Amino acid sequence: MSGGMDRRRLVVLGAVGAVAMALPGRGLAGRPRPGEAIEGDELPVAEASWWKRLDQGRVECQLCPRGCRVADMERGSCGARENRGGTYVTLVNGAACAVHVDPIEKKPFFHVLPGETALSFATAGCNVECKFCQNWEISQFRPEQVRSWYLPAEALVALARKNGARLTAATYSEPVIFWEYVRDVARAARKQGIRPTVVSNGYIQEKPLREVLPLLTAYKVDLKSFSERFYRELIRGELKPVLKTLEITREVGTWLEIVVLIIPTWNDTDEEARKLARWVKTHLGPDVPVHLTRFHPTYRLTNLPPTPVATLERLWKVARAEGLHFVYLGNVPGHPGENTTCPGCGAVLIRRMGFTVLANRLAKGRCPDCGREIPGVWS
Amino acid sequence: MSRRITRRDLGRLVGAGALAGMASRAVSGGPVRRPGVVGLAPLTAGPGGRLDPVAARTAMAGALVAATGEPTAERAAAALFGPGDTVGIKVNCLAAPRLSPHPELVEALAELIASAGVPPDRILVFERSERELRKAGLPPGTHARFRSVGIERDWEARPAVSGSIGSCYARIVSRRCTALVSFGVVKDHDLAGVSAGLKNWYGVIHNPNKYHDDNCDPFVADVVNHPWIRDKLRLTVLDGVLAQCHGGPAFRADATFDLGLVAASTDPVAADAWAWKVIEAERKRRGMPGLEAEKRPPRFIATAASYGLGVGDPAKVREVRA
Repeated sequence: MSGGMDRRRLVVLGAVGAVAMALPGRGLAGRPRPGEAIEGDELPVAEASWWKRLDQGRVECQLCPRGCRVADMERGSCGARENRGGTYVTLVNGAACAVHVDPIEKKPFFHVLPGETALSFATAGCNVECKFCQNWEISQFRPEQVRSWYLPAEALVALARKNGARLTAATYSEPVIFWEYVRDVARAARKQGIRPTVVSNGYIQEKPLREVLPLLTAYKVDLKSFSERFYRELIRGELKPVLKTLEITREVGTWLEIVVLIIPTWNDTDEEARKLARWVKTHLGPDVPVHLTRFHPTYRLTNLPPTPVATLERLWKVARAEGLHFVYLGNVPGHPGENTTCPGCGAVLIRRMGFTVLANRLAKGRCPDCGREIPGVWS
Repeated sequence: MSRRITRRDLGRLVGAGALAGMASRAVSGGPVRRPGVVGLAPLTAGPGGRLDPVAARTAMAGALVAATGEPTAERAAAALFGPGDTVGIKVNCLAAPRLSPHPELVEALAELIASAGVPPDRILVFERSERELRKAGLPPGTHARFRSVGIERDWEARPAVSGSIGSCYARIVSRRCTALVSFGVVKDHDLAGVSAGLKNWYGVIHNPNKYHDDNCDPFVADVVNHPWIRDKLRLTVLDGVLAQCHGGPAFRADATFDLGLVAASTDPVAADAWAWKVIEAERKRRGMPGLEAEKRPPRFIATAASYGLGVGDPAKVREVRA
């Protein structure tokens, strides 16, 4: 690290450790250099990639299904895109407000390079408003309202290399709203032999999705419920476009995992779990991992208790009974439901404790006992 | 908030030379309220859109007198504010500098509030960011009669729920100010229909971008209906020297017109209903379709009225001219 570090320089503490960049001092003309804090008006403004002009200086965003029609000087619902004189711009390509080195299991990806780490990053903003958002302090704020650092794609990937991360993960808030950043990081990461991944709500239009999916090693989608009512009332989003995203991802072939946060009284019935599992099996196949995770009260949904573990276990059985091969329990450290078992012979293949891999018996992606191939990205 | 006058207050009022204002507040037991009344005073801009400071003071004084029914501007100010207040004036600077409150009018309002015994360092002119304040000619820092402050990142740590919204409010309204003024402009809004005094309060929540569906209804009303605003809001002032009937919220030269008025009201809903009427009239004069036909009627005004925040029917708004 250089001796010229000051408070404006990036120092982001991660769950696994601290990462820091050692780069020369602040740029000329007041613009931040990579790794420096973004102050005031310095947000990295760049023309957005998915939008069209309307009449009278208005624009239509073509990134997420919301399709915001935005007047001059106004922003889309995400808060991260703005109409500036008839041109739609992104304010967050390179404006990272959270950067951590996380175990890949934390995303969670259970079938992607177990035990490896991902340089995980986010910008401010989100295209929905989940009343139970764990990261609302960045997802529900505008970029200028949170502390951010200027980390363009190449700098971010350099940070991943420096910290020995074999993957990157766009996560925490909602990568759809910084999709240009996701794309640029994915391209830069691939050049360096690093695997790019995304953790998303899947609420995105088809064109931008198809443009970026082939660049990704893995895509995790929060399928928040199987009911439109849930999406309408708790998220201010829609279910149907998310299901479309899942199908496209499967079709393109990018590795896919699904997370369903089980919230008491909202999506914890056997009937909904059965419908969801059947849909996954029919439209995506039985090998797509589905993580049933435990809700904890937060943000605007504080009137409900944490999900009982017994509820998760009940829904796990329902999903397994419907024929899904890889159903996991999340946010229940030490539970056997965290382990990967062979759908052929039932042997435990990967044993986990929370985000830690305790044992990995996979042999070249196969069960060492019966030889069955286990789908995933293992090397 | 209780506005009962104590003997200590009385002493301060006398000391501040604001004795005249005491009477109306002592009688009413709270700041003056005149539901449905909008006070209007004429004012036109000079070359380059600048205002003559003396004319601006006269207009502001006239609008305040007309709005409150008090005999003088000083008594009007004292009927609204007291020496113990910290007064926040939320200016709408989104379309600055061409369509935002004129600094001369802001100065004139601050001068009148000061005449009620409020010291300049407790008259806070504020907007979302320091950048916007600079654009509007109200640079952050200490001015002769007020302080200019950008909210920047100073939000409550937890979201507050009001009706359909869940937002972190700026701490300047939740904690620092005891009295609030909305100082907006008279302009069209592409989604809400009208952006005048009520929608100006979108600037004190952290997530206004989440609340533009359905013509911002009921969201605008919900933002204002939170006690942090509802119970502190004493006055709405609209700079109508220049108004805009289409293409808002940004400035659009071909849609602006010289309205030549300063409006003030103790009824925040009536102020918006009046602005709506003005915008519709100008659109009609130009042969443009009404806001209803354009599918962006400012329904939030009626919603705000249904919450008991004021008079929302433009036909029931009483204009009182200075």
